[in-house]
Amino acid sequence: MFSDVARSLACLTQCRVALETRQILSAEGPACLSRVPEPCSRAVGMLSIWRRSVSEVQALQAAVSVCKKAQASLVRVTACFQQLVLSVGGSSDCSRLREELEETRLRAHQISTGLCSRLTALLTGGRLFGEEQQEVERLWVLFLSGLELLQLELRKAFHLQAVFPLASPRDSRALVNTGASGRSAEVAAQAASVQTPWGEAEEKGEGAPPNLLGHIALLDSMVQEMVQKVNVPIWTVAASEEGDGEMELELEGATSEEMLTTDVEQKRGCFRGWLLCLMP
Amino acid sequence: MTIKHCDYSQHYRPRMAFTKKIEALVLEMQDPDTGIKTQTQRLVITTIPHAMTGHDILEWIINRLQILDEEAQNIGNLVVQYGYIYPLQEPKNLILRPDGSLYRFQTPYFWPTQQWPAEETDYAIYLAKKNIRKKGVLEDYEKENYNILNIRLNHKWDFVIMQAKEQYRAGKERKKADRVVFEFQERAYWLVHRPPPGAPNVIDYGLDRFSDPNENQVTQKKTFDVYRREIIFNQHSLMKSRVKSSVSLGGIVKYCEQYFNHDPIMTGCLPSNPWLTDDTQFWDLNAPLSEVPTKLRVERWTFSFRELLSDPRGRQDFQLFLRKEFSGENLAFWEACEDLKYGDQSKVKEKAEEVYKTFLAPGARRWINIDGKTMDITVKGLKHPHRYVLDAAQSHIYMLMKKDSYGRYMKSPIFKETLNKAILPEPTKISESKFPFNKRHRRSSPSPVILRQLEQEARAKAAATGPVDITQLCKFTSPIPHLTVYTGFCEPTSPTGTALCDFPPPSPGLMTLPNSTACPSPICVAIESTPASERKFEPSSISTQFLTIAESTEMSVSSDSSTAVVEETKQPSHKSRVALSFSRFLKRGCSNSPIFATLSPKCPAVNSGRVQPMNGEPQHQPQHHHHHHHHHQGQQKTKKTNNFFQIKVDIPSECRIYPIDSEDEEEEDCPNSVKNNTVKEVICPWETITEDGKAG
Repeated sequence: MFSDVARSLACLTQCRVALETRQILSAEGPACLSRVPEPCSRAVGMLSIWRRSVSEVQALQAAVSVCKKAQASLVRVTACFQQLVLSVGGSSDCSRLREELEETRLRAHQISTGLCSRLTALLTGGRLFGEEQQEVERLWVLFLSGLELLQLELRKAFHLQAVFPLASPRDSRALVNTGASGRSAEVAAQAASVQTPWGEAEEKGEGAPPNLLGHIALLDSMVQEMVQKVNVPIWTVAASEEGDGEMELELEGATSEEMLTTDVEQKRGCFRGWLLCLMP
Repeated sequence: MTIKHCDYSQHYRPRMAFTKKIEALVLEMQDPDTGIKTQTQRLVITTIPHAMTGHDILEWIINRLQILDEEAQNIGNLVVQYGYIYPLQEPKNLILRPDGSLYRFQTPYFWPTQQWPAEETDYAIYLAKKNIRKKGVLEDYEKENYNILNIRLNHKWDFVIMQAKEQYRAGKERKKADRVVFEFQERAYWLVHRPPPGAPNVIDYGLDRFSDPNENQVTQKKTFDVYRREIIFNQHSLMKSRVKSSVSLGGIVKYCEQYFNHDPIMTGCLPSNPWLTDDTQFWDLNAPLSEVPTKLRVERWTFSFRELLSDPRGRQDFQLFLRKEFSGENLAFWEACEDLKYGDQSKVKEKAEEVYKTFLAPGARRWINIDGKTMDITVKGLKHPHRYVLDAAQSHIYMLMKKDSYGRYMKSPIFKETLNKAILPEPTKISESKFPFNKRHRRSSPSPVILRQLEQEARAKAAATGPVDITQLCKFTSPIPHLTVYTGFCEPTSPTGTALCDFPPPSPGLMTLPNSTACPSPICVAIESTPASERKFEPSSISTQFLTIAESTEMSVSSDSSTAVVEETKQPSHKSRVALSFSRFLKRGCSNSPIFATLSPKCPAVNSGRVQPMNGEPQHQPQHHHHHHHHHQGQQKTKKTNNFFQIKVDIPSECRIYPIDSEDEEEEDCPNSVKNNTVKEVICPWETITEDGKAG
């Protein structure tokens, strides 16, 4: 018996090597197994699950990490989009801003659709277990929240662009003097710099990207579909990070807060402390 | 992912008219030519344009809207409160200072809109951002909110933190000045939408609405049903009664003038306002059923009939009066209707039946006098009883009481006596010097549960004392010198005429109405008074009365009276004690009592030709009884013959009334006695039809 197991193990290692070179795919797997002598087959059967998870784990892990990255980029793009929408209707509004909005939106669209299909595939594939399942579910919930936020931002953008059209010069007089005058190019650039982890090649086959209104509706339907396909109760997901949201304190960030709180104290003339903090 | 729609389908935010209005105003303020002049705000590291002084804003509003200073201040405050303009130097103080303090416009992204509320997720992200930026900068209430949101949004908390970080990073890409501006804006936004404790929440609008206010009703699909409803709506609007505004305003003025002295806030109240002087006498004196009402209260009864009825003490007084006039059933019926309308609806069926049996059925114990058409409608409606089934009859009776009894009540001695006895309380003396020692010992007022129990006990006791009969009643009243029109009406119950007349009334005092529907009533002797006919019944002198009646009557029933009396005396053995008392009454010497001819079972023989419709006495009858009498006469011919007996005597407008009608005690007792003796029960017409044969 033990010798049988040892022999089966030896066979298995051979098979594993073969599998790892990715030359033997599912079609060959059983064939490989079939070459295992009879007494080994039982042992092979026992170890089959183990064998499978060992090789597939890496694939799955890769997929999961891809999704994580995609989620992070989606969050970033949404944040950039929000910064841009903030300026709509304000004194820094211009047609360039609108263009940047469009570009960022399309970017978000790319990422979201890609991530959607990947996550759906992962969760409906039925090959996840235990921790990974939890991880992917967590990502799922976060993705849905992200989509929700994105949709809200899109709606606001649509509404604001309708209220403040830039068609005629008269409209630009109506722009609200908010005090903001800067260009938003940097923000847009950051959004554009966000990489989709799966590269650019995929989007070609997706069809025409939607316009703003259509995008909003598309998000709705996307969420609907997703919820129907995958059943993940959202309360099963717990926060993995600390409530305090620890993050490296960047000294520069402190200035704006101080500026806000010390506005009233301008007259007091405590300049020196500020100047120190202002070092970029 | 947020769970939405866990409500009773109330998803829609209401119309917010202020958004459109303030937006229009704010947009006008932007105009470089006609808008508000802007200055630059100088901060340490940068200058930010587009700041305005409060003074300038106010001036502009006054000029633009052509309003006064105060109103402009008000509007300016509103604009700041709703977050369209935010103060730069005192961000938490959301008012428009008319001095040099600086303000700036909020970016349209942060304007309040009707379409979406300030989301919790956004607020969580904002707080997280603030926390990330610098630890410990969150205020107390913000910290609390932060923790609450952490728990509530735990499933997406990672997302919140991630997004906060990203937003922070994205914000850093901007110029310094813009960043500062953005932070100002964001802070102002959340001060409006998540106000700190103590600050008023101007955005609060209560509950969400059921229907979408933005939905365009015009685009509703025009189905048949829609048109039908529209037609009905328009028809109803046409039917609406309209009053000229001059008339209605005049009414309001008159009302105010009339009630001015009765309003304890406008004119003070006597003895004193309990809230001020700690003296609860005012409430004790004006208790619903106080023994002696105050003068003001009694005066209010003279204002209108409605006032009289709505005051329980007034109703009590009125009831007393009606009893003397033998029209107590009207008020009792009215009260029964009120009970049906406003009382326990689970007992509607029983109540309706009770009302029918007591008031409406032909020959009912306390039969009310309503016209045939109303009676028809009511009886038909009683088949399917509901809250308002007695409405028509009730209004009829109400108008009857109002037009008739009310006037007489006002002139009656009962009312005069009440008025004389009414007290005018003295104002309480406030001795401030001894105030702490003058503390009154307070008792809590009796619990309503106990009050109700007492009420029921009183009622039961009154019922237990049994129906008041004539002999007993003698003790209560003094002799009445006059006897006014007495109309009696007896229904022969058997064609043979020999059967026991269901003669003994449940109470001797009741007599059925002749001028009303000729009810084939088993209870033929029921002295029931109508407002139209005043009847006085004085037992002690009844013999004399009857003699006088006999003298004055036009009825020639004397021939029968003796037989009637004889038969009367035979009958007591079978009757209830009510009848016994009646027979006692007879023995007193009412030998010659044409009245009792009516009571005799021999009535049909007597009266077939003797029918004297009440209409023969037009001055005693309200006109509207006229046709009903005929109508019902015709109806009854087939079944029974009617007796109408009318004795006309002097009718003084005032007389001591003999309170025979004792509603309460009869209610419980009567059914028993009736059932013992009546051959035919009062059956509600919708129940069964078989009992007809029992008649007679």
